[in-house]
Amino acid sequence: MASTNEFGPDSGGRIKGVTIVKPIVYGNVARYFGKKREEDGHTHQWTVYVKPYNNEDMSTYVKKVHFKLHESYNNPNRIMTKPPYELTETGWGEFEMVIKIYFHDPNERPVTVYHILKLFQSTPEIQLGKKSLVSEFYEEIVFQDPTALMQHLLSSSRPMTLGAWRHNTDFEALKESTMKDIMEARNKIRLEVIDLKEKLTLAKETIAKFKEEIANISKAGGSLSVA
Amino acid sequence: MADVRDILDIEVPTTTELTKESILGSDKKNRKRYDYNKMPKRPEGMHREVFALLCKDNNDVPPLFPTDTAKGYKQVRAKLGMKKVRPWKWAPFTNPARTDGAIFHHWRRVADAGKEYPFAKFNKKVPIPTYTNTEYVQHLVANGWTRAETDHLFDLCRRFDLRFIIIRDRWDRAKFPARSVEDLKERYYQVCAALIKAKSHTDKVYIFDAEHEKRRKEQLKKLFERTPEQVEEEQTLLAELRKIEQRKKERDRKTQDLQKLITAADHQADPRKSERKSSKKNSSSSRNRPNKTDTSHVCCKIIFIYAMVLLYQEIYIVLLTQAVESAGIKFPDFKNSGVTLRSQRIKLPSSLGQKKMKGIEQMLNELRLELNPPPTEQICQQFNELRSDIVLHYELRSALSTCDYELQSLRHQYEALVPGKTLTIPPALLPKTEPEVKQEIIDVVGSPSTPSITH
Repeated sequence: MASTNEFGPDSGGRIKGVTIVKPIVYGNVARYFGKKREEDGHTHQWTVYVKPYNNEDMSTYVKKVHFKLHESYNNPNRIMTKPPYELTETGWGEFEMVIKIYFHDPNERPVTVYHILKLFQSTPEIQLGKKSLVSEFYEEIVFQDPTALMQHLLSSSRPMTLGAWRHNTDFEALKESTMKDIMEARNKIRLEVIDLKEKLTLAKETIAKFKEEIANISKAGGSLSVA
Repeated sequence: MADVRDILDIEVPTTTELTKESILGSDKKNRKRYDYNKMPKRPEGMHREVFALLCKDNNDVPPLFPTDTAKGYKQVRAKLGMKKVRPWKWAPFTNPARTDGAIFHHWRRVADAGKEYPFAKFNKKVPIPTYTNTEYVQHLVANGWTRAETDHLFDLCRRFDLRFIIIRDRWDRAKFPARSVEDLKERYYQVCAALIKAKSHTDKVYIFDAEHEKRRKEQLKKLFERTPEQVEEEQTLLAELRKIEQRKKERDRKTQDLQKLITAADHQADPRKSERKSSKKNSSSSRNRPNKTDTSHVCCKIIFIYAMVLLYQEIYIVLLTQAVESAGIKFPDFKNSGVTLRSQRIKLPSSLGQKKMKGIEQMLNELRLELNPPPTEQICQQFNELRSDIVLHYELRSALSTCDYELQSLRHQYEALVPGKTLTIPPALLPKTEPEVKQEIIDVVGSPSTPSITH
C-alpha cells in the first residue's frame, strides 16, 4: 500500500486508451458426506472460490472479495482480504451466491459475479461422494482506461507459486471448442438466411402473380356480366 | 410498541416486583404518562390521515414535527363580525356626465358623503380633432367628399364617440350618398392624419387600410354563408387529408424498417446479392393492383389522385415488409471507463422482447450451444453476431410464414372464382414442414413421450 501515497486517489485521471484484462475462474467444488448429518441435516461440504486464471497474486490489485451466502447461514456476509479467496462451508441446498470483488483504488467500482452454488449432479461417482463435483466458470475482468494507480497495481502482480498453475477445467480446450462451435453455427445460420431470403423474394413475386391472375379473372367476369 | 416496552420493562423500571397495584392501578397510570411523553399529540385542525402519515404506530418518533402548534395546525379562519358596522344611507346624487343635472338616489356609505359620483370617471370622451376653413381648403380637400359631408361625419363622430357602426346607421342618406363603414373610417382617419401632419409636422399617424378591411369582412361573410353541404364537404376533405398524412407517416416508418432489414441482410456475406436485387426490382415493376376506387367520394380531385398514389405505394411497401420490423440485435457499447466483466457484453438487451429471446434460446439449444460461453473477447463478439443473425433468421422466417399464408388464401380465392382450376405454388415455397411433420408423426408413434428430442 506504499504506492497508494505515490499516486493517491486524486493523482490524476484515467489513462485513456489502455485496456487491461484479468481473466479469473470462479465457482465451487462440493462433496457429498454420503449421508445426512444428524445434528444439522447438512449433506455436503462445499468450497466456493475466486482465483486468477493465470498464475499471479491477485492481492496486488484486489482489496477484498465479498461472498454473500444464503440468509440462513450465520453472518452470511463473508469477506476475504487475502488469497486464496475461498470459503468452505457445509450445507444441504443450492442457492445463488453474490460474489463482489473490490479493488484497491476506490475509484474503480467493484464488480459483481453471480454464482449458483452447485451441490447435486447425476453422475453416480459424485452421488456416492467418491468424487467431488466441480462447477466453475471462466470470466474476464476488463479494466477500461484504468486510473494511474490501478494500472500500476495491475501490472505489478507477481506469480503465486513457482509450480504449475492448473484448474479443474481445461478452459483452453473449452474456449477453442466453443469458438469452433459458434463459427459453425454462424455459417449454418448464414446459409439458412440466404435460403430464406430467396424464398421470401420468390414468395412475394408469386403473391403478385396470383393477385394479377385474380384481378384478370374478376375483370373478365365483371365485363361478362355487364355484357 | 407500548405493550412490548411494558413487557420488557423498558419504560417502567420501578415496577420490578409484580404486585397487585402494579398490575391494576399504577400500570394504567404509567402507560398514560408514557403515551403522553412518547406519542406526540395530534395538533388541532390536522386531519387524522395526515397525522397517521407523520406518526405511524411502529416508529415512535416522527421524522419532522411542528413544535409551534399553540395556534393550531391550520390557519385560523377569518373572524367575521368583530368590528362595528359602517352605516349606509339612501342619498341623492348627480352624475357629472349628464348635462341635464338630473338627481337620482342611491345607497351610499355615510363616510363617503360629499364625494363625487364614483363612476363619473369612466365617462371618457374621445378627442375628435377640429378644423378651420383654411385648414380644410389647404389639407383636407379630397375626391368624392364635400365639405358638408365631412362636417356631417365629424359631427356624428363626436356624437357617437367613433362608434362607426352607429355612425353609419345614423348617416343622413337623404342629403348624402350611402357610405360603408370602411368608407367612413377611411375618410375620418385620412382627415386626422392630414391635420396631425399639418399641425405637428410628424409622420406618426394612424393609417386605416380600408381595402384590407373590406376583404377581411368579405371573407368572414363567405365563411358565414356556407351551406351545410359545403361544410360537410370540407369536413370530409379534411378527414381525408388527415388519413393521407397518417398513411404517409406509416409508410415512412415502414420504409425505414425495410431499409434496416436490407442493410442487415447485405452485411452478411452473400454472393448473389446483385441478382437478388434485380429480381426485387422486377417484382416491383410488374406489380399491378386490382381496382380499388372506392374512395371516389373525395371531391377534390388533386387530393384524390394524391391519395391513390399513396395507397398504391403503401400496398407495395406493406407487401415487401410484411411482418419484418427490425433485424439483428443492438448490443450496448462498452466504451465507458471503469471495470466491467466481459460476460456483461453478451447479455441480451431487455429491449429485445421476450418472444425473440425465447427464439434465440431455442435456436441455440437446437445448435447445441452453451447459453453462456466462456467470455473471451473473440467469443463474445462472435457469439453476439451469431445471435444477431439468429434474430434476422427468426424474422425472415416469420415474414415467410405470413407470405405462405397469403399465398394459400389467394389460391383459395382463385379456386372459388374459377372452379376446377387452381394456381400452383412454386415447389420451393411449399413448406418443407410436410416431410418433417410425417417424420415427427412416425417418431411420436415410436416414442410418444419424447417428441421434442427429434429436433
